[in-house]
Amino acid sequence: MKNLLANPQLVLVSRVFIGLMFIISSLDKIVDPSAFSRSVANYGLLLSWMPAIIATVLPWVELLCGFAVLFGVFLRGSSLLLSAMLAVFTLAVMSALLRGLDISCGCFTQDPTAGRMNWMKVLQNASLFALTMFIYFSQATRFTLSEYLMKSVNDHHDS
Amino acid sequence: MQRALREAAVLLLVAAALGFIYTAATEKGLFARRSTLPPRAAGLLAPVMVTRDQAQLYFESRRAVFIDARHEFDYKLGHIRGAVNIPLRMYETKKAVLDTIPKNWLLVAYCDGAECNSSIELSVKLAKDGYTDVKIFFDGWREWTAANLPSDKSP
Repeated sequence: MKNLLANPQLVLVSRVFIGLMFIISSLDKIVDPSAFSRSVANYGLLLSWMPAIIATVLPWVELLCGFAVLFGVFLRGSSLLLSAMLAVFTLAVMSALLRGLDISCGCFTQDPTAGRMNWMKVLQNASLFALTMFIYFSQATRFTLSEYLMKSVNDHHDS
Repeated sequence: MQRALREAAVLLLVAAALGFIYTAATEKGLFARRSTLPPRAAGLLAPVMVTRDQAQLYFESRRAVFIDARHEFDYKLGHIRGAVNIPLRMYETKKAVLDTIPKNWLLVAYCDGAECNSSIELSVKLAKDGYTDVKIFFDGWREWTAANLPSDKSP
């Protein structure tokens, strides 16, 4: 497991996948926060004023964390945030499925005609959670902007 | 861990700032001047929400066609008296039942209630198909039966 965590190529592939996925999934929510707010409210888990606040902030958290994971800046913080979000999403979807709610996920698109969520969504979220935790615990720092910047600073000091 | 939490806090703060600035600048979501519910279909009159009292008035006036967006199974168990069943997922195959209804008639779409948004989605489809006066009875079947209003069962 330690070998996997230190494998720079594997970590890079995971970062690109998770980064791009969260960037793409944030766009529809940013463009139409009202629709996303409705999707959040449909879960019936929050007080009435909460979905609008979540719809204002959460898409931007996804976008920023997506870029941070992709480029390798604030890697620990962003992967931790994404893991926490995915854990909450997974629980919310499970709760909705167990209550038999007839709602769409609101995960990637706010198109009301998008398909209803099912247990595959729980599996998908759990897999993504595992991947973000993998990035969080990874020790490889190669191919990250942080490493590149540190290198530049050190080179500057040496010369 | 402490470093990760610090980074996460910075990301959260920046994201919150960007989110509030963006939605305020574009007057979307939280800062929308008026409710954008439901979505406005290109150039068409957007469907509007109605309360149970309004839905009851439409029902009693006999000038509205109620459209039940739930599954056929639920519809058969009970529905608003006279309602037509067009399950959202079967819209394309079932919408022919509306062929005899003029496009300017009042249609009221409903489904289970607050935990279901099929009525919104159905009303958007109806508006896109040219029905100019579509209302959404969002509280739906649950509120209707709670008030003991006229309903029917299908065999």
